[in-house]
Amino acid sequence: MNIKGSPWKGSLLLLLVSNLLLCQSVAPLPICPGGAARCQVTLRDLFDRAVVLSHYIHNLSSEMFSEFDKRYTHGRGFITKAINSCHTSSLATPEDKEQAQQINQKDFLSLIVSILRSWNEPLYHLVTEVRGMQEAPEAILSKAVEIEEQTKRLLEGMELIVSQVHPETKENEIYPVWSGLSSLQMADEESRLSAYYNLLHCLRRDSHKIDNYLKLLKCRIIHNNNC
Amino acid sequence: MDLWQLLLTLALAGSSDAFSGSEDSSKEPKFTKCRSPERETFSCHWTDAVYHGSKNLGPIQLFYTRRNTQEWTQEWKECPDYVSAGENSCYFNSSFTSIWIPYCIKLTSNGGTVDEKCFSVDEIVQPDPPIALNWTLLNVSLTGIHADIQVRWEAPPNADIQKGWMVLEYELQYKEVNETKWKMMDPILSTSVPVYSLKVDKEYEVRVRSKQRNSGNYGEFSEVLYVTLPQMSQFTCEEDFYFPWLLIIIFGIFGLTVMLFVFLFSKQQRIKMLILPPVPVPKIKGIDPDLFKEGKLEEVNTILAIHDSYKPEFHSDDSWVEFIELDIDEPDEKTEGSDTDRLLSSDHEKSHSNLGVKDGDSGRTSCCEPDILETDFNANDIHEGTSEVAQPQRLKGEADLLCLDQKNQNNSPYHDACPATQQPSVIQAEKNKPQPLPTEGAESTHQAAHIQLSNPSSLANNDFYAQVSDITPAGSVVLSPGQKNKAGMSQCDMHPEMVSLCQENFLMDNAYFCEADAKKCIPVAPHVKVESHIQPSFNQEDIYITTESLTTAAGRPGTAEHVPGSEMPVPDYTSIHIVQSPQGLILNATALPLPDKEFLSSCGYVSTDQLNKIMP
Repeated sequence: MNIKGSPWKGSLLLLLVSNLLLCQSVAPLPICPGGAARCQVTLRDLFDRAVVLSHYIHNLSSEMFSEFDKRYTHGRGFITKAINSCHTSSLATPEDKEQAQQINQKDFLSLIVSILRSWNEPLYHLVTEVRGMQEAPEAILSKAVEIEEQTKRLLEGMELIVSQVHPETKENEIYPVWSGLSSLQMADEESRLSAYYNLLHCLRRDSHKIDNYLKLLKCRIIHNNNC
Repeated sequence: MDLWQLLLTLALAGSSDAFSGSEDSSKEPKFTKCRSPERETFSCHWTDAVYHGSKNLGPIQLFYTRRNTQEWTQEWKECPDYVSAGENSCYFNSSFTSIWIPYCIKLTSNGGTVDEKCFSVDEIVQPDPPIALNWTLLNVSLTGIHADIQVRWEAPPNADIQKGWMVLEYELQYKEVNETKWKMMDPILSTSVPVYSLKVDKEYEVRVRSKQRNSGNYGEFSEVLYVTLPQMSQFTCEEDFYFPWLLIIIFGIFGLTVMLFVFLFSKQQRIKMLILPPVPVPKIKGIDPDLFKEGKLEEVNTILAIHDSYKPEFHSDDSWVEFIELDIDEPDEKTEGSDTDRLLSSDHEKSHSNLGVKDGDSGRTSCCEPDILETDFNANDIHEGTSEVAQPQRLKGEADLLCLDQKNQNNSPYHDACPATQQPSVIQAEKNKPQPLPTEGAESTHQAAHIQLSNPSSLANNDFYAQVSDITPAGSVVLSPGQKNKAGMSQCDMHPEMVSLCQENFLMDNAYFCEADAKKCIPVAPHVKVESHIQPSFNQEDIYITTESLTTAAGRPGTAEHVPGSEMPVPDYTSIHIVQSPQGLILNATALPLPDKEFLSSCGYVSTDQLNKIMP
């Protein structure tokens, strides 16, 4: 079936125009709670908000890592022990611009969603463990709580975007599992601090990746590579 | 060896800032800077080796390694391009550049590692300067002095903004041409920004630099843009006019202050009262306000006692005590005008008959003691105020009054009349002449007896009243506590002669006896306890025995020198047995166990038994 045939073209155009009209008539709303099937927020707004969120999350992660390092592990050579890689390393993430340009849009989106999903549990445990620490560092705890919440919102937004851009995508629940909880609860302080350092280091890196990928996708999808 | 290298390498991987510049402390080559302008390539530079010695370490090589997903790749690869970035540099093109993977590089010479460094590419991003700066005029102020402009530029060409690979922020700086310090604006994300309030007649310089938004450092500054604003008006207006609020405020405050001072220091009491109303202070006319201060209530009380309407507060428990108004009239002295004068002006010859019995119909129980004593008090008050000096004198007078010895008795040998006649003179003498407390009372009393009134008029114009609270069987008059003298006077014990005379001379016309005498003559040592500072001995400063003293005394066996201990109940009231006008009253003593040998020294009041004993 030739989709590009003229009768189909006209109906597609009509559908597109009607969609655009419907979407444009609505003022920007917050990301729909509960993840409605068809939201009234435009894709542009969705992407704008997603980029804002990812940028915010990355800033928080950087600050949290800096504070943790300054307070607990600075100058103690923890980087030497942070040989353990991140739990998301198994994902085939693009490492430079060429690779990012080569990956297709759909895979790119699902990759981002996977990374976000895989961080749900580590963030939850991070908050719980930091809160249970003796003399819990308020700055780090508050940032961890904020990151956890914003990551959830970002995930919702990403799922909305995916549902809009690629509605036929099936929910892919496969994501890397984090298994570092036991190391966070170790009795030995050195090991425990090393586990925290690694976790925060990975969080900073992954949040930077997500931020970068979303900016790329936004320019690609919304602005057609002409940000 | 490998593990050691690995650990060392990892130790340096935590460094977050781009390695830039190094102290040239040694002569070995060191990394100066690694930089990535667009996040797709990067290059590293190092210092050239300077060797003073002949020893040449050979060509310098750079090796790099990067951490793969799971572990470090142990192999060190050599720099792919020593040329493209210039001398002493290594250039990594895009195929060698990975963003989220840490790198480690080392510099070797003759196989030996000279320097090492670890980083990730995002840390060393330093964008190129923006290009194509230009400005446009936005508007000019109404005065023609200031103007706003819009500055525009473009992102560095190698930063991939379109695809969103890099997001830059910019910082604009501007200054006048002849200034030295640049003014900075906040970082902005867009490539154009308005600059406000530039002076029209000045020339400005503008420059911009860029930085990656989340990481890295600022790049180099762009080329300077010169801004010359066209002059709209031919003449320069003066500076903006501003209302001189400050001057008005200052002058207003000054004027108000001047007015305030004029009011304060002016003689216009009315205005002054309006602005500064006087604060009322506690004040009673005629009394020094200092007395109202703490601790001087006694003086105040004594002063106020002049006014017969005043009742000192410690009289409150003596509610049953009536004020007895004693009015002694002496027909001879009526011209004097006051009882005091009359009392005091009488001489010895008249003393017997004058005093004490003139007003038999008054309600007093004592013939003369309160009067005299009151006279003494008031006279003293009149003349000498409430000074402490006067009080000892007065007390002295009282003491002599009380402790009149037989020498005085010689003058008027009567058994039941009050020797009040002598007492005023005594008092007078005492009052008029401040005398030290005599150790021998006889002298003083003797002296006193012969001293005439020297200044009767000075004692005039004051009627005095005493409040008699009780009369002891011993003959002492018990007055209200308010009339007591605080001044210490142990006058009573200054009369040793009286002790010996006590027994013989009970018939003396002693209307009053001091406690010491009474103690000696009575088989009991009353324990006077009228004040807190009372000593156990009877030698009080108080002349008068108060009710309490007597009652307490009754129950306490004293240690009088001459008196054997025996109890003596003291009645508060004594009934009048005989009224022997004008000699005096004889009171019934109630249940007084009087030993035969001893009896109450004769005051003005003698019990019936005593009387029977005394008089055949």
